[in-house]
Amino acid sequence: MALPIKYEKEKESIIMKKMFLTLLLLLSCASVFANDCSSFKEDTPVLAGGREKPLFVLAKESIKFLTGKSKHNSESQLTTLCNIILNGQAKKEYKFPVLVEHFDTKKYLGLSEDTKYMNALELITKKDLIRSEIMRLKENNSYKKDLTKTFNRLQTFESLYEGKALTVFTKKHDHEENEYEWESIVNHFESHETITNALTQSKINYDNQKGTDYLLELTYVKSNIYSYSMLLVLIGIFLTVLSKNLKYGVIFSILTILLETTAITWRVLISGRAPITNMYETVMFSGYGALIIGLIILYFKRDKVFLLAGLAYNLLCLFMMMFANNMLSSSISPLVPVLRDNFWLSTHVTTIILSYAALALSWMIANITLFKLRFKKITQKEYNYYQQLTYTCIKVGIILLSAGIILGGVWADYSWGRFWGWDPKETWSLIVLLFYMIIVHGRYTSWINTHRFTLMSAGGFMLVMMAWFGVNYILASGLHSYGFSEGGAIFLGTFFLVQTVILIICAKQPELEKA
Amino acid sequence: MNNFKNLYQKFERFVSSAKFAVIIIFIFTVALIYGTFMESYHGADYANRLVYKSWWFMFLEFCMFLSIVMAVVVRLPMKKRLYGFYTVHAGLVIIFIGSFFTYINGIDGSIQLLPNNPSQKILINEDLLKVSYLKSNKVFTLELPYTSGAVNINKSLENIEVKTFLPFAENKLQWLPSNDQGRTHSGSYQLFNENMSQEFTMSLNPESDFKSIQKMGLLNLHYMPISLKDCFVKETKSGYILWNLNTGKCFTPEEKGLPVEKTDKGTNFIVMEFENKYLKFFPDFSPMPINDDLSKDSNSPIRVLSKNLFKDRPHLFLFGKQISYYKKISKRWVIKDISKDVVKLPWMGFKLRLLRHETALFPVEIPEEVIPIQDNNEIIKGGTKAVLINFAGKEYWVRSDSPLELSNGNESIRFALMNKEIKLPYQITLQKFVMNKNPGTNTPASFESFTQLLDGRGETTVLDNHIYMNNPLKYEDFTFYQSSYFQIGPENFGSVLSVNYDPGRFYKYLGSLLLVLGSIWHYLLNMRKKKRA
Repeated sequence: MALPIKYEKEKESIIMKKMFLTLLLLLSCASVFANDCSSFKEDTPVLAGGREKPLFVLAKESIKFLTGKSKHNSESQLTTLCNIILNGQAKKEYKFPVLVEHFDTKKYLGLSEDTKYMNALELITKKDLIRSEIMRLKENNSYKKDLTKTFNRLQTFESLYEGKALTVFTKKHDHEENEYEWESIVNHFESHETITNALTQSKINYDNQKGTDYLLELTYVKSNIYSYSMLLVLIGIFLTVLSKNLKYGVIFSILTILLETTAITWRVLISGRAPITNMYETVMFSGYGALIIGLIILYFKRDKVFLLAGLAYNLLCLFMMMFANNMLSSSISPLVPVLRDNFWLSTHVTTIILSYAALALSWMIANITLFKLRFKKITQKEYNYYQQLTYTCIKVGIILLSAGIILGGVWADYSWGRFWGWDPKETWSLIVLLFYMIIVHGRYTSWINTHRFTLMSAGGFMLVMMAWFGVNYILASGLHSYGFSEGGAIFLGTFFLVQTVILIICAKQPELEKA
Repeated sequence: MNNFKNLYQKFERFVSSAKFAVIIIFIFTVALIYGTFMESYHGADYANRLVYKSWWFMFLEFCMFLSIVMAVVVRLPMKKRLYGFYTVHAGLVIIFIGSFFTYINGIDGSIQLLPNNPSQKILINEDLLKVSYLKSNKVFTLELPYTSGAVNINKSLENIEVKTFLPFAENKLQWLPSNDQGRTHSGSYQLFNENMSQEFTMSLNPESDFKSIQKMGLLNLHYMPISLKDCFVKETKSGYILWNLNTGKCFTPEEKGLPVEKTDKGTNFIVMEFENKYLKFFPDFSPMPINDDLSKDSNSPIRVLSKNLFKDRPHLFLFGKQISYYKKISKRWVIKDISKDVVKLPWMGFKLRLLRHETALFPVEIPEEVIPIQDNNEIIKGGTKAVLINFAGKEYWVRSDSPLELSNGNESIRFALMNKEIKLPYQITLQKFVMNKNPGTNTPASFESFTQLLDGRGETTVLDNHIYMNNPLKYEDFTFYQSSYFQIGPENFGSVLSVNYDPGRFYKYLGSLLLVLGSIWHYLLNMRKKKRA
């Protein structure tokens, strides 16, 4: 997207500033200003947001958070971060666009409707106004959420501009022994040490004391591993659809699984916990799980629709991970206290996510069946056959889901002394289970025939989505309320709309040949 | 008899049918969806009262139970291909029985722990009206119904009539027309800093529920007549201000040429002639003039104020649209206008904002029934409960946030609306509460309570416990888990533990096990059947 003109002009002024900085560098060597952006190395360790990570990750996450875009003025994230910090240290006027999203926030800040950004330094002058407005608003509506987000952006920028956000690993002041701690780089400005020296020394200290494991994250973030997975999945789908021989599709599915296993393991090594602690990770894991479950069922049932459903769902998940940044944050942040139990977290959540993966397969197959029914001629026998395929996935889903719910109950009992508490997340997983129970029991009545079964299986996934995302993005309360964003509600709404339209289009059962 | 048998057979056929199961699961599912929405908008307590613990929800659960049992009954005697089916349904029945035990005998409450203060009281989420006669030590209690909406009680407790109970109420601020011709004034303000925000209302009107003096943490707030602000900034040697309640005029002793004299013991006093009477003031002790018999003369309209008393601690004087405080650094009183902008206060980064200022209206608070609103896991509206009582021919509201004290002429009677309590046979003491933060941030990484349990029954047991998330304390039948905390002072926290007793636990585990194993068994049997076919 094109930047507003006034920000395009900024490029020039930044170049000017850089020249000015270089000039200063030449003039005075001992001063604080003796810094330039070449001292900002992407592999410098920093402490930010409760975690130790490479400087590049901090820059990437900060710029994304502040501007809503991956880059500012198409310069590298590291350069932008450096510019903010250096200009802040020089106490110089620096124009940087901070994203303001909500209509009411813009109005409150005196921005016109069609501006998307506010100059950061101007925003800082309104800090108290924003804070008092946030505290005054009682209801946590989208306005208050956006104000809070804007306030957080403001604070993030301010702490960068003032240099507080940049940390260095240094020797403790009052300790004789070799004890090190994280300290804001601001303290080093006073001792007239250059940022270059401070950062370089920090890296040496850190590498000596704690090793270079944190660099794993740098290679992970820069690896584009999910883009390669996507490529493999796409080739897999292509070959499965075009080729009569299943072999090629299976080979590419296995390659995808291998690559995604690498990615997930990588992430586990970085975060040190099960890969299912936020929405981004559950999406990743469900796509991965669905492809594996699809392959396992394929082994027993030998129908390529399982493979196709698994691959297609995996592709959807990869799409969400790469493009739904507003809803799913890829950054690794510290866990909320309640989830800090690796054993229960991995068993309970994994089982639930795998059950969602199996139900996602049934949803895919049901929708494929509906499309075939609507746009191709199939016989009643074929239709019944497809119903059986959907049903197989549902059965796997139901068993995994009941097991997952019970495991959750056991965890709750172990940690909180109660098996069940009508918390929205647990209640919604029960709602999903009960809905599929209706389908299963309904098959024994005259009410649910093959067509209704297929419609319900396709529609049932809306309840899964509600339990999975809706509780966090729409209901958002209770013990499970981690991660909340407005983008999620829009995504869910769109999904519900599309699925409902498909159901309506396919609602009427055409006359089928009785073969 | 035959008729009856026929009827029963019809009933059995219907209740055991898959159609009945589908209907009942469907209604139950819809009820659950409704419940989750209620819970997220109105809080867990409201949802429990409205849905999960209501009679109709219990009835639905009973219908589910009936459907499951009858589905098994009509498929007896046992057939081999249905073994999985029997196991699944038996598992469900056992879970239902377990839940029923929990419902009947289970305890779900919380215990509040102040540091180094032994506690035995578990608070249960049921409401109680407690009436205590303070002199004769008589106590009466009335259990209030577990409902989600307002309910008429109409019961008598001794000579007190209990009329209406509001389980969710909000003190509604109302501004009523005042008839004192603008002699008094009232205002609402927002006080905030980086960590907290509080709205408060103050009034000088005697009819108002709001006071003119209030303490907020360490900060003392004084609501003052508007006219006094002029005298506040006048630099005077004595630091005294005198004013007339009737005219609202103020002056300093220096202006009127009143000498500030000293008694033998060195106490300052002022003598002033007013309406042919001599008023004697000891400004450092009382705002009112002192009579010869050392009693305070509250009838006199003249008051005195010693600014010197308010220099040390944080005192804020509010004159409606202006405020004043003593600035220690520059050693003088400053006055600031807050009608247009937020004003910074010199204490703990506090800032003040004027929300409303009225001279012709005065504020009152009346509890009003509301549907509670939950936000970020906090009840932000409807968090109080209230009971309307009739005492000696007059109606009063008893509110859960502050007890009411009335007198019947002989003695004081205290009315309190509180949670039902259960006493533990042992006591728990909080020794330390620790909140660890994620490195370099303000987000909590863990909450931990270090407690000591003292059981004096039989052989005395003393246990040291470390309670944190995912590591509860289990003692005898109870589970204590870390659920919340509250701040008492700087770096000083109290802890809230949830307390649970679940007599149905064993059945729930057994049922769950049967459920999962049974469903796998069921599918395996089906698979074999299909292979044979």
